[in-house]
Amino acid sequence: MGEDTDTRKINHSFLRDHSYVTEADVISTVEFNHTGELLATGDKGGRVVIFQREPESKNAPHSQGEYDVYSTFQSHEPEFDYLKSLEIEEKINKIKWLPQQNAAHSLLSTNDKTIKLWKITERDKRPEGYNLKDEEGKLKDLSTVTSLQVPVLKPMDLMVEVSPRRVFANGHTYHINSISVNSDCETYMSADDLRINLWHLAITDRSFNIVDIKPANMEDLTEVITASEFHPHHCNLFVYSSSKGSLRLCDMRAAALCDKHSKLFEEPEDPSNRSFFSEIISSVSDVKFSHSGRYMLTRDYLTVKVWDLNMEARPIETYQVHDYLRSKLCSLYENDCIFDKFECAWNGSDSVIMTGAYNNFFRMFDRNTKRDVTLEASRESSKPRAVLKPRRVCVGGKRRRDDISVDSLDFTRKILHTAWHPAENIIAVAAANNLYIFQDKVNSETH
Amino acid sequence: MEFKLEAHRIVSISLGKIYNSRVQRGGIKLHKNLLVSLVLRSARQVYLSDPCPGLYLAGPPGAPLQLPAEPAAGPSAGWGEPPPPPAAGLETEPQPAHPAAPGALRAGDAEPATTVACARDTLQSGEAAAAAGGAGDQAGGSDAFPEGPRETRRDCRCPPGVEGQPGAPGAAPHGDCCAEDEPPAPPPIGPRKRPAAGAGGCGPAGRPAPGSTPVKKPRRDSEERPGRAEEGEEEMETGNVANLISIFGSSFSGLLRKSPRGGGEEAEGEERGPEAAEPGQICCDTAVLRDMSPWSTAIEAF
Repeated sequence: MGEDTDTRKINHSFLRDHSYVTEADVISTVEFNHTGELLATGDKGGRVVIFQREPESKNAPHSQGEYDVYSTFQSHEPEFDYLKSLEIEEKINKIKWLPQQNAAHSLLSTNDKTIKLWKITERDKRPEGYNLKDEEGKLKDLSTVTSLQVPVLKPMDLMVEVSPRRVFANGHTYHINSISVNSDCETYMSADDLRINLWHLAITDRSFNIVDIKPANMEDLTEVITASEFHPHHCNLFVYSSSKGSLRLCDMRAAALCDKHSKLFEEPEDPSNRSFFSEIISSVSDVKFSHSGRYMLTRDYLTVKVWDLNMEARPIETYQVHDYLRSKLCSLYENDCIFDKFECAWNGSDSVIMTGAYNNFFRMFDRNTKRDVTLEASRESSKPRAVLKPRRVCVGGKRRRDDISVDSLDFTRKILHTAWHPAENIIAVAAANNLYIFQDKVNSETH
Repeated sequence: MEFKLEAHRIVSISLGKIYNSRVQRGGIKLHKNLLVSLVLRSARQVYLSDPCPGLYLAGPPGAPLQLPAEPAAGPSAGWGEPPPPPAAGLETEPQPAHPAAPGALRAGDAEPATTVACARDTLQSGEAAAAAGGAGDQAGGSDAFPEGPRETRRDCRCPPGVEGQPGAPGAAPHGDCCAEDEPPAPPPIGPRKRPAAGAGGCGPAGRPAPGSTPVKKPRRDSEERPGRAEEGEEEMETGNVANLISIFGSSFSGLLRKSPRGGGEEAEGEERGPEAAEPGQICCDTAVLRDMSPWSTAIEAF
């Protein structure tokens, strides 16, 4: 599949080169592995595409570690639950890489109901010189065998094989929204709207329920779980976010069922901003621990917030992503955009945070310099090796030449999924069915 | 005033979303529906607390007067009669449990009458909304109310109860609904509009048979359904949303009634009190408001 899109440039990677966008090709998740060598994307059609960074070669100094398609496989298929008459979408909600422990790579991919563990192996040698079989594998006529030989391994074209090793099914009644691998590399958790389960990577027929916020009477339901993640270093800590905008840090040592949080991170609502949609825009769509483990990053509809684990009362930093939408919430509610779940990301040193917005814009905020930039992921503005030009949305008042006015923003083009390389300044940005990979110019020059 | 219009519009949009969520691929999304129901609640609160109501009750002066008569005549009249031809252009689905009494009003007020009847119907089948909203069996409903037209037209004749946002909200959505449809004849409908979202509607979804019997059936279904959901294995329960709609349904009917007293069939009694008081106020509107046609208010809202 990837071979036909061979015009891969450093700034562009396309999954499909069609002029139309089929729904199934829309990317639904993006994730770098722990070294950044591999980049996995999942789409609405249940497929996973893995990109691998080419090693930098002296011969082509410009091609500094481009990402090329490494493997493609169908992870999930649409299913039908006959008992409930419900169709289960095959859309990949989340992909999480396991830390690499041998030559093979492993990742977890999940749709609404089922999590699968995939093992990705390479085969670049094959044995030749069998005694009983010939080159095509047919049995030899024994009478023609006059001597014995030891088969030898000869190099062959690289073949990437992907096989499902585990299927973790029937663990969730509601839609799974996140998975997170524990730092102990043995367990992982999966969260749906009301429950969080702890699984062992090797055991598929049972899981432990560690959080259950389902009320006895569903009519009393007021909030749901929206995202959850394990702490990067402490295998007993995890956080989950709610639709009410709160974060709960739980310690698995405290009790088997972590319904009681150890810490509750909540910012009181600003009464001056109250509207019909206050609850919707305060719902946290993504939560990410910093690499250091000291901070958490949350994304709600209009802002990204940095929280210090040591302070529960309020975030230490709040960045407005697109505050100009605050007056348009009703229209955004009508066209369902207000329900969009944007993700957020830290850079490797936890100094810059990134999140997506509309019109294929994405924003980066430097926590140290307090500077921010808006960039656009589009074919027109992303010629290979071109430097992205910062964009600006004008909200009335003076309008500069290349500004975009709020009213001309395209709300059908949105960046929901972004990922940052764990060590370098390389980012992957998904816009509908396109994957954009950008590198920091400064970095590339120093190579 | 603007808040009320806004609230009204938001309620109708929310109901549309709840309705559409039932036919979305992948099943009902709990998170989104919860958020929508929260918005619905907020908008409804604003709507009901706003002291400047009654925009929707605007309509031909005769309409409000006839309203009280409607309920009385409603049930006995032809439940299940299809909507009157003038408005019939708006919808093709047979509307069960529409009172025939509106015949008098039919010319212009078919909707109010039907809506009144529907509201009454809602009362009787308080849970019908729940059934309609919560149960996924709208396949049956779609027989009577094809979802296509329903969604696009926000049919004024939508069966009441489901979206129920009865009462104030109901009025507003109705106006909006009419606004969206090509208004053939002047639609003095006003408060009766029922948001198209929702399913079920008066009468049982897909059971256009007139009479109160079909009305009761959906309620039983709806009652059974949440019950079934509770027992046995867990299912994704959206009964809360459906029940929310039924709550609205009961208060909606309360609003329609001139007298604060609701019918005995009120499903949720506690809502009646405050809302019942309001309808009284709403009904005796000022002349100015009465003159405003629901069309103009609806158009204003957009």
